[in-house]
Amino acid sequence: MKPYEWMVKFTPQTEWIEQRGLLVWLAEVSGGLGGGLYLVSLYLDSLWGMFVSWSIVVALKGGFHLAYLGKPLRFWRMVLKPQNSWMSRGLIIVFLFIGFGALQLITSYLFPGTAWELLFKGLAGITAFGTAMYPGFAMNYVNGIPFWNSALLPILFIVYGILDGFGIVIAIALSGGDVNIAAAEVGSRIFLIISAIILGIYLWSATYVGQAGKYSVKELLRGSVAPVLWLGVVLCGIAIPIVIVISSSFVGGMSAPLLIGGIMCDMIGGLSLKYCLLKGGIYAPLIPSTTY
Amino acid sequence: MTRWGMVVHLQKCVGCYSCVISCKQEHYLPPEVFWNRILISETGKYPTVMKQMYPVLCGHCKEPACVKACPTGATSQREDGIVMVNYDECVGCRYCLIACPYQQRTYYADGNREYFPGQGLTELEKIGKELYPLQPGTVVKCNFCLERVDEGIKQGLRPGVDREATPACVIACPAKARYFGDLEEPQSEICQLIKERRAFQLHPEFGTDPSVFYIV
Repeated sequence: MKPYEWMVKFTPQTEWIEQRGLLVWLAEVSGGLGGGLYLVSLYLDSLWGMFVSWSIVVALKGGFHLAYLGKPLRFWRMVLKPQNSWMSRGLIIVFLFIGFGALQLITSYLFPGTAWELLFKGLAGITAFGTAMYPGFAMNYVNGIPFWNSALLPILFIVYGILDGFGIVIAIALSGGDVNIAAAEVGSRIFLIISAIILGIYLWSATYVGQAGKYSVKELLRGSVAPVLWLGVVLCGIAIPIVIVISSSFVGGMSAPLLIGGIMCDMIGGLSLKYCLLKGGIYAPLIPSTTY
Repeated sequence: MTRWGMVVHLQKCVGCYSCVISCKQEHYLPPEVFWNRILISETGKYPTVMKQMYPVLCGHCKEPACVKACPTGATSQREDGIVMVNYDECVGCRYCLIACPYQQRTYYADGNREYFPGQGLTELEKIGKELYPLQPGTVVKCNFCLERVDEGIKQGLRPGVDREATPACVIACPAKARYFGDLEEPQSEICQLIKERRAFQLHPEFGTDPSVFYIV
């Protein structure tokens, strides 16, 4: 793009999805996954799940974010403006989750059943919720991208985080972890349907937030990102898991390979959705259509 | 209270890029970094095709989205309305860049890029790195030539009136399409222009209230 063509037409944001920006995408995916998995693990009382989710947030989300920063050694400065910035609030929430999560894991391991364990579970659960949800608020703040200006975006992030969390929890169960697989399957089915409905409403409502919003949806449905949306989000993330769920209800149970396939599809769906959301971020042209 | 602003006369602009080049010279901007741009668009269909030229720069908005987005406080707004970046505090998260609805910020990624690749830095580039050291890995943007404005005021000059105290893009414009001054001073030239010529801002619906106005 030539300098004089900048923002003359609909211009996609690239900083958070192209080249090094792919790290932001991976960080958002791992944040959603980590937060969602922690909530699911709390619900199913799986210590392994909690440990895995904590590790994902510490190693993957933290690592990807740090690797993306232009000046990573100054990352501590990012907690200085929680009164203004969602980025700052998000980082504080993540730090709190890491702290409370660590304390919860220690108390659950050493002093199970105590009030301390319960307290740290509660605090870590609240911050896990925030960890999965805050990227939605951070993106929602961006006025210039109408596609992201939806109250449904944070909800979409948390719902997909929990859905992915159910997938990982089932994987933990299959590897011999401390999880009630039947309960995890039921939860997964419920959140699969909820996420599909919210995604549909999100895309539909985005067409009503101005030309740029409509253009974003058009790009996702028919543009260069369409294969990721249709194959990744719709086919792998929704259609195949639903087929697996329906077929298993007829057969009366799910085989391990089928479950693993479903989990893989679920993960691809989560990755593709975040990719599509970031790719769909498009700014309206700066220049009015006619001025003089 | 002062609020520095600019008015751009679109019909006077001839698209010569003097503002773009003078800005680059003033701040020794490296390749691919533009604090001033001229956007060119063509609208309509033959035979009623219209070519529009829009000089654009940071709007130094009254309600800047970038300042609210910045998690470190590296982007801040002075009392005179100028939005500036403290490179020593910027972490390069680029949230400000995403948050700016006018996309007038640039991530300065590579400090080793040369204007003539493979031939080393020119003398001007070497001087620039000493005089105006931008930090790779941070976000950069137009600062309304605050060095000129501040130095001019110290010397008792009036920004927008005296050349030495006025942004480089304004004084470089051969068509005199740019005006600079205090938006809070009703008698200033730019306030008169805004009032009489029914000036408009780009995308007022974003609610950021830019200090750069356009007239036709």
